[in-house]
Amino acid sequence: MPVVAPTRADLIDPASLASLGRIEIVARWVVDGFLSGLHRSPRKGFSVEFAEFRPYQPGDDLRFIDWRVVARADKWLVKQFEEETNTRAALVLDVSRSMDWSGSPERLTKLRYAEQVVAAIALLLIRQRDAVGLVRYDDRLRTVLPARARTMQWRRIVRALEDPGAGTDSRMAEGIQQAARLIRRPGIVIVISDLLVDQDEMERALRVARAAGHQVTVLHIMDPSEMELDTRGEAIFYDPEGTLEVTATVSDVRQAYATTVAHAIEEWRLRLAALGAGYEVIRTDSPFGVPLRKAFATRQRLP
Amino acid sequence: MSFLAPIWLVLSAAVAVPLFLHLLRRRIEIRREFPAARYLLRAEKENVRRLKLRNLLLMLLRTLTLLFLALAAARPIGALLGSGHVPTALAVVMDNTMSSGAIVDGNPLLSRLKVAARQVIEGAGSNDQTWLVTADGVVTGGARNVVLDAVDRIEPLGGRADLVAAITHAAGLALAADLTASTVVVLTDGQSSQWPGDISLGDVRVVAYAPTGNAPFNRAVTMAEPRPPRWSPKGSVLVGASGADSVTFRVTLGGRTAARGLLRGSDEQVVRLEPTERGWLAGAVDLAPDELRGDDERHFAVWVGDAPAVNVLPGAGGFVREAVDALVQSTLITRGSAIEVASVDEASRRPALLLAPADPVRLGAANRNLERLGIPWRLAEVRRDETVARGAEVDGMPVRIRFPLRPVAGATSASDTLATASGEPWIVAGPDYVLVASSMSTDATALPIRAPFLPWLSNLLSQRLTREGSGLVHADPGASVRLPAGVTGFEGDSQVFSVGGAARAPSRAGVFFLRRGEERVGALVVNPEREESRLDRLTGPELKARLRGSDVAVTSDPSELSRSAFDPSAQRPLQAILLLLALGCLIAEMVVVRRAEPRGLRRAA
Repeated sequence: MPVVAPTRADLIDPASLASLGRIEIVARWVVDGFLSGLHRSPRKGFSVEFAEFRPYQPGDDLRFIDWRVVARADKWLVKQFEEETNTRAALVLDVSRSMDWSGSPERLTKLRYAEQVVAAIALLLIRQRDAVGLVRYDDRLRTVLPARARTMQWRRIVRALEDPGAGTDSRMAEGIQQAARLIRRPGIVIVISDLLVDQDEMERALRVARAAGHQVTVLHIMDPSEMELDTRGEAIFYDPEGTLEVTATVSDVRQAYATTVAHAIEEWRLRLAALGAGYEVIRTDSPFGVPLRKAFATRQRLP
Repeated sequence: MSFLAPIWLVLSAAVAVPLFLHLLRRRIEIRREFPAARYLLRAEKENVRRLKLRNLLLMLLRTLTLLFLALAAARPIGALLGSGHVPTALAVVMDNTMSSGAIVDGNPLLSRLKVAARQVIEGAGSNDQTWLVTADGVVTGGARNVVLDAVDRIEPLGGRADLVAAITHAAGLALAADLTASTVVVLTDGQSSQWPGDISLGDVRVVAYAPTGNAPFNRAVTMAEPRPPRWSPKGSVLVGASGADSVTFRVTLGGRTAARGLLRGSDEQVVRLEPTERGWLAGAVDLAPDELRGDDERHFAVWVGDAPAVNVLPGAGGFVREAVDALVQSTLITRGSAIEVASVDEASRRPALLLAPADPVRLGAANRNLERLGIPWRLAEVRRDETVARGAEVDGMPVRIRFPLRPVAGATSASDTLATASGEPWIVAGPDYVLVASSMSTDATALPIRAPFLPWLSNLLSQRLTREGSGLVHADPGASVRLPAGVTGFEGDSQVFSVGGAARAPSRAGVFFLRRGEERVGALVVNPEREESRLDRLTGPELKARLRGSDVAVTSDPSELSRSAFDPSAQRPLQAILLLLALGCLIAEMVVVRRAEPRGLRRAA
């Protein structure tokens, strides 16, 4: 069966796509592709102000079917509403040194991938008239952009992504707390990180954000080489953010390592679920549409 | 275990390499940035025991691989239990002598020997050479199936054959094969009469199978002898049997039952018969069957004809004339012209009983007559001395006057000396004649007035000088026989055996008539050897002591026999086995290593 290459940008291999243009161009392609895949107007949703009817399509929420029209004309129509524009979101991006790593030159680094995701999410939210802010951190807070809904905000965010980072620590708790402070009303906090941080500290920060009523989603960015040791031989493996060094023969520990990573992911999932936060593992070889869909789902969960 | 190229054992020092690598804390130069190093550390901590075991296993496998390779290079040879046996020249000797036909526990003993033989031969492999040698010296070799078929076809022989010669021949076959091991397997009933002494077999392994337990009780006909050998037409059969108790017997002659009787113990009994048939007749004496049927019957043959017609010439003397009259009256002979009894100088033809002339002046006429009759003897000058005769039937008879007998130079006719006087021939015999060197007068010898005279004369006239009935030959089963001149074949049981020159008697007992063309001219009587009827056995140690080889074992267990037949302790090349072990270690090492490798990486490698 012939394999048809995807034509939508949100489904294209991220490394290939990123090589085609600057971050803002790529982000537009991704968002456009993503929105076209939703099969509905980007400016229309299921909010409070009625906009128009459209024919029912399988998968539509039955709550929005106009049963009167069905009874009178035997036509299945779905009511559409103008979306709200007062949602506020904060994107928390880890730009520490561990993020600036790729297991293969054919893949984007975790940071490049995450920046592309941030740009796309921000554009998507701004197009929905949501206010978006950005917090970048490594061993300190690098960037803090308050949430705004203007078009210029997205350009600010994209420019901020070019700021330096790669510090040797991840002050994630600080970043989350800062993000929670940026949004005064309950909103969205999307954390994008490789989660190579202290779990307890992060959990405390998230607890505070959740207590403030924010919807929190953590996108755990992982390089495929971090999930399965796909290298060979013996080497000293060192942590770029610390002094940890491990001497290992890959073939000896490959299986055990994969098991350990799986346990760690499961541990994150359970802890964050206990806090009511969303958690998704995103591989850097996944098309950008994947993290976008996860983030959009968080937006959809809001009242 | 020893080594053909021990110099290569130095390679075994290479086993130190994996040991050294395992024990050495190596300096690793490669450093890799890996943000998730914390997960790696955690993985190592959680699997430290498993990793140590795995590394130990890998080290062991690699060390063993090198060790096996080094040992294989040194070309070891040695014994390896459970790895089959070395190429073996296997000669199986089957004692199928008559005694092997004895019934033991309801089955012929030979059946047990055949089962044991099959087990042994089935254990032979494609690298072995196998022969079957029966007690009569018949050899069957070749493929295993051929030899097994030969085992199935074995039947008990009619006699004792020569088991020792068969074993010696088998050892020669095994040694000549030039294989790594040579084994002679002897399957025997252990009959002591078959093992007269030690058998030296040289550098060959000998494994003997002999059943345990006592030999079965056996009765046998030990005597079935016609007397005299030619009946005219009366005669008798001397019957005897072995065994302590009484036994009934039957005498058959010419296919018909001629007499029945009872034998007590080991007594002999004379059965008198007067058959109506004439010519060569086959007879037998048989007993009620017992565990060994082969010796319950003994055969004999006899020539039956009319009494010979005798013509006594005057020169024979008064005593002879009177004696012939007595024999005529007793119907042992008749008057006629078939045989002459005469003085040498007056005899006109053969067959004749020739007596030296009473008057020495007739010496010249006598010798001329001898020359005319074609008799290769001459009378010398008369000798008057007191001496005694030596010979059958006339032994100790005084002789006073005699004409010493001188053989004719260059004479080719066969003749026998029946009696001597002072060491010189006194009575000689040849075809159709008997020549006595003294006249039958009391002046010359006391023979005419002694009791043996009449039987002696009767025997000469009715047995020696009768043309018919001279072709009786006795032989053991399968033995070489010397047949009378002109015989062209055996006839027995409707079968005709071609013979040429030296002949071999059939391996079964019976009477086989001799033929000269279409004429029946004699009989070959084949009977089992009397000692074959003694079934007493040697014990295992006694049998072992009789056999001399490089390694001798005696067993009564067929399965142990088949195990012992092939020497598992013999040294064989172990190179292939060690290479296989090394390969096995390498495969195991590869499996252990690859279990940790993801499939994608394996393909990439």
